[in-house]
Amino acid sequence: MSKLGRVVEAVEKYNGFVEDEVKRARSDKKFGQEMVDRWNEIKAKIPVGTAPTGLKLPRLALPEIDEAGDITRYLLGDGLPGEFPFLNGAYREMYLEPLQQPPIETGAYEKSGHGGKAKLNGSKNGAKPQVAEEPTRLFSGLMLAEDTNERFHFLGAHQRSKRLSTAFDGPTLYGIDSDAPGILGKIGEGGVAVDTVEDMVRLYDGFDLGSPDFSASMTISGPAPIIMAMYIAAAKRRFGDGIVPKLRGTIQADIFKEVQAQNETIFPVEASLRFLTDMMEFTTREMPRWYPVSISGYHIGEAGSTPVQQAAYTLSNGFAYAEMMAARGLDVDDFGPRLSFFLDCGLDVEYIALTRVSRRIWAIGMRDAFGAGPKAQMFKVHTQTSGRSLVAAEFKNNLTRTAAELMLSYMNGTNSCHSNSADEPFTTPSEEWIRLAAHGQAILLDESGIFKHTMNMLSGSPGMKAVERAVEAAILEEFREIERLGGVMGAVENRYQRSQIQTAAHRYEQQIYNGTRPIIALNKYRNDSEEMPEFELARTPRAKQQLQVDRLKKFKAKNARKGEQALAKLAAVVETDENCFPALLEAAEVCSLGQINNRLQEVVGRFRPMV
Amino acid sequence: MAAPIRILTAVPICDGHDSAINTINLEFIRHGIEVVYLGYHRYAQDIVRAAIQEDVRAVGISSYNGGHVEFFAEVVKQLKKRGADDIKVFGGGGGTITHDDQRVMQRRGVDKIFFAGTSLTEMVQFVHDHYGKPRKRTARKTPEMQLARKLTEIEDSYANRKRPKKSGARTKKSIGETRVIGFTGPGGAGKTTLIDELVLRLLQRDAKSRIAILSHDPSVVGAGALLGDRATMINSQDDRVFMRSMATRGQAGGLSPATEDCLQLLAQSGFDYVIIETVGTGQEAMPFHSKLVDQTVLVMNPDYGARLQLQKIVMLDLADVVVVNKSDQDRARTAASEIERRLEQNNRGQRLLSTVAKRHRDPGVDKLCDLLTQPVAAASKKGRKK
Repeated sequence: MSKLGRVVEAVEKYNGFVEDEVKRARSDKKFGQEMVDRWNEIKAKIPVGTAPTGLKLPRLALPEIDEAGDITRYLLGDGLPGEFPFLNGAYREMYLEPLQQPPIETGAYEKSGHGGKAKLNGSKNGAKPQVAEEPTRLFSGLMLAEDTNERFHFLGAHQRSKRLSTAFDGPTLYGIDSDAPGILGKIGEGGVAVDTVEDMVRLYDGFDLGSPDFSASMTISGPAPIIMAMYIAAAKRRFGDGIVPKLRGTIQADIFKEVQAQNETIFPVEASLRFLTDMMEFTTREMPRWYPVSISGYHIGEAGSTPVQQAAYTLSNGFAYAEMMAARGLDVDDFGPRLSFFLDCGLDVEYIALTRVSRRIWAIGMRDAFGAGPKAQMFKVHTQTSGRSLVAAEFKNNLTRTAAELMLSYMNGTNSCHSNSADEPFTTPSEEWIRLAAHGQAILLDESGIFKHTMNMLSGSPGMKAVERAVEAAILEEFREIERLGGVMGAVENRYQRSQIQTAAHRYEQQIYNGTRPIIALNKYRNDSEEMPEFELARTPRAKQQLQVDRLKKFKAKNARKGEQALAKLAAVVETDENCFPALLEAAEVCSLGQINNRLQEVVGRFRPMV
Repeated sequence: MAAPIRILTAVPICDGHDSAINTINLEFIRHGIEVVYLGYHRYAQDIVRAAIQEDVRAVGISSYNGGHVEFFAEVVKQLKKRGADDIKVFGGGGGTITHDDQRVMQRRGVDKIFFAGTSLTEMVQFVHDHYGKPRKRTARKTPEMQLARKLTEIEDSYANRKRPKKSGARTKKSIGETRVIGFTGPGGAGKTTLIDELVLRLLQRDAKSRIAILSHDPSVVGAGALLGDRATMINSQDDRVFMRSMATRGQAGGLSPATEDCLQLLAQSGFDYVIIETVGTGQEAMPFHSKLVDQTVLVMNPDYGARLQLQKIVMLDLADVVVVNKSDQDRARTAASEIERRLEQNNRGQRLLSTVAKRHRDPGVDKLCDLLTQPVAAASKKGRKK
């Protein structure tokens, strides 16, 4: 049995345990009274805040229950925000505005950052209450490194914390150099072109990479270890070797979902996993503030999976990575807290509770199947609203779709969120629509009172509970099927996930065409006279593409000799069982992405696509 | 009955968005179209080569990652340059291709762009209306294009129930040095991957060798077919490889009604190797009646069930070489010894090999390559069967 089978058992066992404890609270008077006392104590400690209208509200809302069994089911089965099994949230407080007056009891309510890093306590040292990071993190990348850098500065201008999220162009995602024949039109399209460490320096120019307020997210998986090495090399160039342990951010590096859904894989799966584990081992030991893998359901969702498939494949991929790390001899409490997740949020009903249920399954699985401590039990998640749900027809409706998805994302207690721009069906988003997308989040979190006063404001309605139960059962059923196929790796080789996703995608399209899935302005309330709007598109001019090619050629000429040495050394290490990441770091100083990729492919082969 | 329309679909280089094209492929197939699917992340050059070899009527490109104006134009340009401008180019990219782009693309020779919101039915109708009429007979420029067109004519004549005139007896007399190798075996045994790895080695060992591949996929009952082997055969997309994908068009047993004639043509076309792959076959199948096939390879999955099942597999008596692929699986050793005993009963000097085709530089595949490149007399061959 792989660990996934143990996870299924753990969740079933935990659910049984909760129900047993509920019965015990009802039959065993002493235990029942303990639970009631605990409940009353929790309630008494809840601070009270004031809305701008003067209305007094508790910082944490709890169900109106007073019977010992119900209390037990809530405390053990759902958990308070920030408590096992984390159904209601990874942290005690999220999105709340600071209390106007000091909290009643120091230490009773330790505030935690949205991203989990900033453990801040306003009452210590008499310092001004610090504020957690904004959860807004917008994905961007266009043209060349300097253009994206400018966009980063524009986006971050009004934020205290600089949380950059980087999109790479197609050649970079596939590990191909900009000077390769046949790809010129693709340079800088859909993301930023990065070929060398020099591009990486330009990309984050002007940002303090070692600052606790800075974090960089890089959305790339196939060549992730190479790009990670380039990021470290660029940071060293700018700040010296001492910067490495301070680097903070995330690299996606999720090979399983690439093979299952997104198709940006360049090495055979086993070789990809080896490079990935080498990198994760390095960051776990040397870069304690880095998230070396972002276990991503987003692309699974976008490729057309159902929400349950998205959650089930993402979670099972996560457990598989944990199993790989543990097999390297790393401690689950060291690597566990550095695993983070990335989910898609669309408009289907499952999204009412999908992230909540995922958080619960992860916590139970990590605790009971992997022996993880509290920090490694927490499912920390970045959510992006669904790109697939957006349509070109009467595209301004996309603002409403995204707003609804944002609402669902925050109802689920996401740790950070990207809201899509309404113009996304056409192009790399333009500044006008990006601004509106960012404002959508601010309106929800800052302007409206929905999330800023009270935790659990929208948690636990009867409908939500019904969705939770149905979704959890369906996810476990998917786990069982994957387990029957030999665990995640076995299922991947049987192309199980791919074929399930493709079937779901086909069904979705058919539902749109036969009208059983209404898409407003597309198959319902359609306005056939509408002209497609003409946008000013963010296309990369030919001259810029040529500039990138010229720069790369110069870099290669300059480093020709050193580059060849570094590649030879890298290839030699890859032939052994040693961790190859240190050799990769050296190569990243003097070699281009494509050079490294090609040399690695000579040793380990190319990925053979699954259809 | 008219011959089915053959088209090729693909997703451009640096683009892995295959969700739309997968759905569209299925719809095309359901409506009688044969789709050669090249897969995602494909260079213009690979698309053009495949389109010419497969002699399709049109190329459909699904692009979501930008750069489409250049990419579509490049495909059109290369087709034209190679004298194949009767192969039309169409495609789409949801909302990423604007009307302005479309105008530029059409000026550069793209036939049709579908925009977001186009129904699948409209696309199917378009293909039938525009690529379904008989082609004008035009002279093909290169020998490769002439060969591709002749293969189409053979296939179409069978579809029209007009068997072509026999051009002499089916013998290998005029073939010279061409080695014809037939691969068969159950679905999921890894035939396609194995052949592709073999091709990689054949190309590497002799810098001049030329290879033809005749690959089969089943037709959907009463409809088209998804011919998807090219998508996974990454090493076979090469200027020294001529690959042709055929649908079985209703014939059982692993091959198409036109296979024999197509094979004969290929065997006489100056290739060093001609490799023929059947669809996944059942126990009773014996697809290679032909005297044209020099060597036959049966590819097995270690997971064939109980030992008794081996007695029922006819090809175990006929194959020159039996390969147990996926030999990294738990059951592989047992399978190899069971099959070995089964072959001993035949006492025909058949060879047994274990491979892991998915593994890079697999020594088992190296051995298979050695075996298949030996002079025929030295190999296990003992006269032609049947």
